Amino acid sequence: MNIDEIFDNTSFTVDREAHIVLNYEICTGCDNRGCVNSCPARCYTWSQEEQKMTFVHDGCLECGTCYVVCHKNAFTRWRYPRGGFGVAYRMT
Amino acid sequence: MSKTYQAIVIGAGPAGSSAALTMARAGLDVALVERGSFPGEKNMFGGLLHRMPSLEKIFPDFWERAPLERHIIKKGVTFMTGDSSFSTTIEAGSFDKPPYNGYTVFRPRFDRWLAEEAVAAGATLITRSTVDEIVLKNGKIAGVTILGRSGQISAPVLVAADGVLSFTAQKAGLRKPTFDPAQMAVGVKALIDMPREMIDERFGLVRDQGFANEFVGCTEGVRGGGCFYTNYDSLSLGLVFHLASLRTSGKTPYDLLNAFMEQPQVAKMISGGRLLEYSAHLIPEGGYDMIPELVGDGIIVAGDAAAFCNATGLNLEGINLASHSGVVAGEAVIAAHRAGDFSKQGLTAYKKLLEESFVIKDLKQARNAPHMLHNNRIYHEYPEMMCDFMENIYKIEGLPKQNVTSLFLKSAREKVGLGKLLADGFSAWRAL
Repeated sequence: MNIDEIFDNTSFTVDREAHIVLNYEICTGCDNRGCVNSCPARCYTWSQEEQKMTFVHDGCLECGTCYVVCHKNAFTRWRYPRGGFGVAYRMT
Repeated sequence: MSKTYQAIVIGAGPAGSSAALTMARAGLDVALVERGSFPGEKNMFGGLLHRMPSLEKIFPDFWERAPLERHIIKKGVTFMTGDSSFSTTIEAGSFDKPPYNGYTVFRPRFDRWLAEEAVAAGATLITRSTVDEIVLKNGKIAGVTILGRSGQISAPVLVAADGVLSFTAQKAGLRKPTFDPAQMAVGVKALIDMPREMIDERFGLVRDQGFANEFVGCTEGVRGGGCFYTNYDSLSLGLVFHLASLRTSGKTPYDLLNAFMEQPQVAKMISGGRLLEYSAHLIPEGGYDMIPELVGDGIIVAGDAAAFCNATGLNLEGINLASHSGVVAGEAVIAAHRAGDFSKQGLTAYKKLLEESFVIKDLKQARNAPHMLHNNRIYHEYPEMMCDFMENIYKIEGLPKQNVTSLFLKSAREKVGLGKLLADGFSAWRAL
């Protein structure tokens, strides 16, 4: 399972409008950033040099892990994608 | 978009569709609202479909109607280290006779089927619709709005079956605004393509027989475990991690899944297979203590949204609890309609019926198990001890043998520590 190739294995209908929006300032001041390693889709990346969090919603599996592990409530928005958008499991 | 129904069910999973089915069969005009483009599109699990008492009552031919995969005749548990494993399996004659004890299923097919049964009974399925807000009128629940659309769907009563994070229950003030990572787990799963004959041959199966296995010790010390299931022509291999443990571990779910797939004994199970799909989902693992307020004025909470998941033993149950709670929610709404009372008091039959059923009784009985499972040694030291002990039992090196007790004590001392073993044994005994 190569996480770089997530789009080859799992289907998505990506919404242009992100269903999760972060206040990155809170992430910069976070002492844990458990989202970075816990997210099963690697949507969160932390750059140590730039002291900057990057979040990409495209490959989000909508599992809710980040919603639960974030103890700083860094989300200005956390909701499921609009109907018909997001991950689409075929079999699983 | 604006229409009035007698009830709105939010989420067309096993709980929601069971609720809608029950109400539609009683003649209620019910809307079943689903955010996926079809029911089951967003759903995955790492489990089996066990006996479904409430759906079997509705459909005497449930097991012929539902889209199932293999019935499980062989169940195993494996204690695993990086290069060794100690397994026990049970293959019971009764597991191979109907009514079968458990099936593998694909959620996008099973959930879709169940929702279609609700539609056939008269429910209105509204897909591609993410419920946004609860609409109140004169302080009472009057319906919901849909994200990105104007207008509303109206009804005097809601069934929140919108899954583990249930924003509906949160907005109704029935669940706490934040979750405790100690009560949540995330499951990741690889679906692996493999020809049917190869699966039969490899795992010793004939006809529609299936094999299911649970693993402990496969998570590099992160609290959690692994699971393996045979479908007709694919294998499901997954890992589950407690979030409180994962978030501080620095390890990632996909790296751990890869390491699991590369563990020598697991690698042999899946070799020749091809990855078809990767998925992830949260599991409410807090048990009885995690259950939110189940009933409010004009609203009932069911399924994962109500944390109805029994994931603390060797059997991992959820769909059966969800479905049963959905049926009972449907019955409570039917009674409320008869009485014309949608208040918390008017819907209270839901709570009472659930408390009398296996749903609450089982969760109550296992109430202390979630705490016991927070012992990190279960996930690393104990599997190491078991494998080491069994390896030494079978090792013949032409030297005078030690007796079994001293071999056990040696493994226990080296891998766990005798004091810790005694303490853990005592707390396990107390919890069970």
